[in-house]
Amino acid sequence: MRYLSRIFMALSALCFAMPAFAQGGGAETNWVAITAGFSMAIASAVCGLAQGKAVASATESLARNPAARPGIQFALILGLVLIESLALYTLAIIFLKVK
Amino acid sequence: MTDLLQVEPEHQFDDAFYSRAMARIHRFMIALAVVLSAGCWYRFGRWSALGFLLGCAIAYLNFQWLKSGVSHLADRATHRAKRQSGKGIVARFLLRYVLLGAAAYVILTSFPASLRGLFAGLFLPVGGIICEAGYELYTGFTGR
Repeated sequence: MRYLSRIFMALSALCFAMPAFAQGGGAETNWVAITAGFSMAIASAVCGLAQGKAVASATESLARNPAARPGIQFALILGLVLIESLALYTLAIIFLKVK
Repeated sequence: MTDLLQVEPEHQFDDAFYSRAMARIHRFMIALAVVLSAGCWYRFGRWSALGFLLGCAIAYLNFQWLKSGVSHLADRATHRAKRQSGKGIVARFLLRYVLLGAAAYVILTSFPASLRGLFAGLFLPVGGIICEAGYELYTGFTGR
């Protein structure tokens, strides 16, 4: 897991490095694209954290009380779908505003 | 003692009602996809309707894979899994995003005119859940 997180950190650093190298002198900064990237990153990170928290709580509850599986599983699916849709809202707004 | 262990009839009705919620959400999703695609065709044209339908298909697949992923996870948590590793479950969970992203990329490069319809179609599960919430409210108020 630590190895994976290092790879993702290196990839994110590379994503920031590429536009920095591409900037020429006197060119206007495209703030819309930058803020879109940051908002998507924040939305993805928070939704990922939320999904992790939901899954961790659900698996803990299932391990404690396997008889309550149908209710917990249903609530987990609904929660994950709604959390994913929040990231999708951000993506849709970014596409519609940036395009 | 046996009286204490018996479940009351109204609770049995509640359990049966809520256990059918997932099947109802599936039906709501299919109905919404058909009805809204027709409306989209009528209001915005063929390409938007096609994009919406493709978005609905992607969202439906995503929902199915999410459900099966959660089911495997629950099997693992309750020690009912056959011989499936935790890494396999996580890989399948993540592969979902890769496959959906690839499908969305192909659709976007092939039919750029259907972009808005595609994004609208991706919210199909939310629509299904909202319909289910409305149905539960209705049954709660009417007492059926």
